[in-house]
Amino acid sequence: MKTVITSEDRSFIDIRELKRYLGLFKYLSLRDVFVRYKQTWLGFGWSIIRPLINIVIFGLLSYLVDKSQNFQDRFVIVSGGVVFWQLLSTAILDVSNSLTSNSNILTKVYFPKLLLPASSILVCLIDFLIAFVIFLILYFVFKGLPTLHILLLPLVLVYGLIFSFAIGLVFATASVKFRDIKFILPFLIQILFYASPVFLSSEFVLKQNLPQFLKVIYQLNPFVFILNAFKFSLFGTFENFDPFYACSSVLITVLALVFSVKYFLNFEKSFADYI
Amino acid sequence: MSEIAISVSDVSKKYIISHQQDNKADSLIEAFAGGVRGLFSARQKQNKEDFWALTEITFEINKGDRIGIIGRNGAGKSTLLKILSRIVKPTTGRIEFEGRVASLLEVGTGFHGDLTGRENIYLNGSILGMTKREIDAKFDEIVAFSEIETFLDTPVKKYSSGMYVRLAFAVAAHLEPEILIVDEVLAVGDSAFQKKCLGKMEDASQKDGKTILFVSHSIETVLRLCNKGILLEKGRMKAFGPMNEVAKVYLSTNTGFSSKRTWERKDPGHRHNKAVQLISVVVHDEDAVNREEFDITKPIGITTEYEVMDDNLIFTHSYNFHNEEGLNIFNTHDTVSDYRKKPREKGIYRATMWIEPNLLAEGLVTVGVAAIRIQTNELYFHELSAVSFTVRDYMKGNSARGEYTLGFPGIVRPLCKWQTIKL
Repeated sequence: MKTVITSEDRSFIDIRELKRYLGLFKYLSLRDVFVRYKQTWLGFGWSIIRPLINIVIFGLLSYLVDKSQNFQDRFVIVSGGVVFWQLLSTAILDVSNSLTSNSNILTKVYFPKLLLPASSILVCLIDFLIAFVIFLILYFVFKGLPTLHILLLPLVLVYGLIFSFAIGLVFATASVKFRDIKFILPFLIQILFYASPVFLSSEFVLKQNLPQFLKVIYQLNPFVFILNAFKFSLFGTFENFDPFYACSSVLITVLALVFSVKYFLNFEKSFADYI
Repeated sequence: MSEIAISVSDVSKKYIISHQQDNKADSLIEAFAGGVRGLFSARQKQNKEDFWALTEITFEINKGDRIGIIGRNGAGKSTLLKILSRIVKPTTGRIEFEGRVASLLEVGTGFHGDLTGRENIYLNGSILGMTKREIDAKFDEIVAFSEIETFLDTPVKKYSSGMYVRLAFAVAAHLEPEILIVDEVLAVGDSAFQKKCLGKMEDASQKDGKTILFVSHSIETVLRLCNKGILLEKGRMKAFGPMNEVAKVYLSTNTGFSSKRTWERKDPGHRHNKAVQLISVVVHDEDAVNREEFDITKPIGITTEYEVMDDNLIFTHSYNFHNEEGLNIFNTHDTVSDYRKKPREKGIYRATMWIEPNLLAEGLVTVGVAAIRIQTNELYFHELSAVSFTVRDYMKGNSARGEYTLGFPGIVRPLCKWQTIKL
């Protein structure tokens, strides 16, 4: 096996190399899972309590804001959204922190750096699955058994995670040089929370007396389509389905992924110089 | 056998250092004002300067070679290793190598305190480039090597530092790449365990024809382990060739050290904020004249000055002597002055030690200086290669040579008492 080092900036995704580092991907992922709730009294209990608190708060609040549905329906829908949003937002945060929080490894050994952001997804997924079980119990109590639409769910999860990963990756790369990201990101996620149909349904937002361009921007947000697709897979009705925005959401996601990976690869070789 | 493992051509590395024009802020307010000013006029206030950590490095290494990289602090050794390990990229140049590379710039890279010893073996092993199958196969060996069997399922943050280092080493020692790059990692850990690791590395390279690149401050270690050497000076390659020749160049020219040295606080090699700071070390003759060369039949004095920054420290000062081959000739510490036992006051101290005439053999002698608290083994400073001097026999017939003028081996050259009678 021959390796060449040059002053070239760009790096490429080398499938053969990634395969060789599959073990590292696994152990980095598992490390994050094992370590997340270490030295907490409740341990993985936090994976239950955090979503539970969010479900109760936002379920109740959302009914106060939007009374167009009965309380039970509204509560179940919002809790689904909250659980899914927690997955998407923690994925963005964890991915964007993955480089700076592993700077000790980054500056000491060579490996395909893309493994770091990628391996921080697993722990988010495990938290999500635990929260999702809580949600399913709630669903069962209020609504009975889910319909066949639920078969779409895995697809929606992957789709949502791809977009979150892309956003996280851009911030991860930028944060190597600019630690400002750490402060900006929580605000951005908070804004996205209200600008996506988690707490306020898209129906409710679009009914408001808002300037048209704001409504267009709102619908261009890929998370609107992603969350509505999530709700569709669970409840069987698609709020404000618009083929144009469906396409634009997919397109933006693909572009975001391509851009973020390219941006990452362009800087990959300089990480150790700046971090 | 002369297959090329690594070829490095014209490799340079530039760093851009930016420093504030006036970095001496006298008060917090000033520092803050400077910060705010900097915020609005970042371009004007910051001085950007190119710094070439490495310049036009070119060499080729054959398969199975064990290369020792030596040079003073800041000579670019670590930068070179980082480039070869693909952690940072070179600014110019090209490197080609054949085979799997593993780099060991630190022991225990990626160790996580909350994970158990067993989990960390897998995590660290995979970070260093081992596959799960390789780790599985080596697992028992690693555990046995590290001597931590009973604590395998304890989080490593509960380990003593010795256990931690042993476990980290054990994983590293079982790497089996074609090319192994090792930084000064072996400087930590207890010496018995260090020897064990060095032995393991020696084995790997001699039996299996592994290529090893090794950075160390200890000339003794590189001379033992390496067959070829690279000497770096201020980012340039000063010498490349057989290890003992490179070591000689390092020890004998200004690249190495001379018989008088002073330390400034700004010296990057100087340990700041230590309780005891070395000021100067001078090798001199009976008349306190500093010399590079000494007559083998005359006493040699070594005087050290240091500043004690804290009150109530208890320690003594010591020297160690190494010859050209890196062999430790002898060590000595002050066993007579009252200062060695009682708490000291702050201030500057001077200590002089005399080497008896007719003790050292001819050749280059390197002096290490340390301040140590004997009771606790606590080191306040330790300059391994502080100064060096040369011992010469001027062949006047009054030395151990007598009238003999040819090669005269031996680590020491005492003038022994002889008595001959006819029976």
